Amino acid sequence: MIGFIKRLDWPGYVLALFLVFFILLPIVTVFLWAFTEQWFYPSVLPTKWGLRYWFKVLERPDVWAAFFTSVQLSSIVTALSAVICLPAAYAFARMEFPGKQFFMMSFLMGNAFPRFALIISIAVLFLTLNLVGTYLGVVIIQLLNTILLMIWLPTAAFQSVSRNMEEAAMDVGASPLRVFWHITLPQALPAIGAALLMTFVWTFYETEGAWLVGAPRVQTMPLLMMSMINNQLVVQYGAVLSVALWVPSLVALLLARRVMGSDSFAKGLGA
Amino acid sequence: MSDTLSTAPASAPLTKWRPTGLFFIAAPILLIAVFLFYPALRSIWGTIYVRQPDGSYAFSIASYLYFFSDSYSLTNLGRTFWTTIVTMVLLIAINLPIAIYLRFKGGRLAVFIQVLALFPMFVPGIVIVYALIRYLGPNGLLQTLLEVVGIGGFQSPYLTPWGPVIGMVWDAMPFTLLVLTAGMSGIATSAIEAAQDVGAGRLRILFSIILPQIKNSLLVVTSLNFLGLFGQAFMPFMLGPTSPEMMGPFMLRTFSTVRDPLQAATQATIVFALCSVAGLAYVRSIAKRRAAELVK
Repeated sequence: MIGFIKRLDWPGYVLALFLVFFILLPIVTVFLWAFTEQWFYPSVLPTKWGLRYWFKVLERPDVWAAFFTSVQLSSIVTALSAVICLPAAYAFARMEFPGKQFFMMSFLMGNAFPRFALIISIAVLFLTLNLVGTYLGVVIIQLLNTILLMIWLPTAAFQSVSRNMEEAAMDVGASPLRVFWHITLPQALPAIGAALLMTFVWTFYETEGAWLVGAPRVQTMPLLMMSMINNQLVVQYGAVLSVALWVPSLVALLLARRVMGSDSFAKGLGA
Repeated sequence: MSDTLSTAPASAPLTKWRPTGLFFIAAPILLIAVFLFYPALRSIWGTIYVRQPDGSYAFSIASYLYFFSDSYSLTNLGRTFWTTIVTMVLLIAINLPIAIYLRFKGGRLAVFIQVLALFPMFVPGIVIVYALIRYLGPNGLLQTLLEVVGIGGFQSPYLTPWGPVIGMVWDAMPFTLLVLTAGMSGIATSAIEAAQDVGAGRLRILFSIILPQIKNSLLVVTSLNFLGLFGQAFMPFMLGPTSPEMMGPFMLRTFSTVRDPLQAATQATIVFALCSVAGLAYVRSIAKRRAAELVK
């Protein structure tokens, strides 16, 4: 009996219980509300279940407009980010050039600023350039947000490509471009794909930059959800949108993480 | 990352030293120079070299004098410090035990704990905010559950100073845990066992073996969390009280509602200055590590 109690993993149960209450139950709440038609306090579960609010949300033109704005913005930002950053990632991984360390550090410096203060100072500049409230302004501010990720992860991917294979191809006379196209790129592609996917999802949910520079004229999905949470009496709208938009992105991010391995994030940030 | 680096032979670089690389990195460098460093420097400069009523420009620290004599601004600054420090302490207090547990235990319960603790990584801020309002808000699920087991008198933290603290702990959990676990993976089990053999207690092992080993991880977590939390705008805006407020929503309101870009830039500069210590600590720690890796 005493042995049984000793074998019980008390710290583990305490931690698990805490995390259930702190992390899991808030998420469960969102799902419950999304499929609720009526929920009167103090009932533990919804008093009436149903999909009525899903149809109501899907009928709203502002939801569709915000959705298309967000998809378009995220696509443009991700594409621009890839075009700008991937060559740089390759250069950092495979080339030697003057000031390499200095430039690498200057990218990391972006991390060493308090983000919102930076956004404020960018917005002050945008005010003089008439970029506040414009689509272009939002694209620029969200693009800045993606650079670190889009350089960091692909740099690691290019570095992990085996140099022996590249050199073997060179030895049999392949041109550097051919080596890159047939050897380096295919091996780095899964990680680059993961970086693209994550950039897209993060940009889709980017809130602070779009809020300060874009609102109210550029209405993205998170901004619409913010106004629904703050102003609307219908609780379910926020819940339905959360579930509808977040589940696909969750699946995408989980896929991305499978490709990348578990701790490359933390290592990238200097752990 | 270091694993993959070490598989590459240290000798025989594929390409020689040449400036082509500079051409490749020109676009992102230009982008951050024009839209990140320039605006930051410009808004800092703009707070001390100010346009006068007659249209000329002159040096003036009036906006700073205003900030540091305005009791509302100072209260907001104090609230920001309080929220940041409380959140940072809670983050370490929650994640250090989890990281230690995950380092030394395996099995299904450990996997469950790890999945839950890292889960917020996949939840966008707006969904977190919504979930916490519904869960912790007045008449929310937590209050209902507590009343079912007979605990009454629940005070919702929503729209109190604890609201943003809870939201930011939620948000920063995965990052904190990942960095601490990465640091912890360097501790040899044999070292712990040896210490246990000579009779060291748990606290002794924590302070003499574990904490010294993860010193760098703690430094990274502390500095990055400080930077991230001090400048937060979204969580305090959605979950916190309107007055006094944290610097993030305060800057936002000064910029968008009060329409005073000079004062907003002054507030941003003060935040920059207060965060620069944490920023420097972060850059220094990472510079050391990068230098070691780039040599390979």
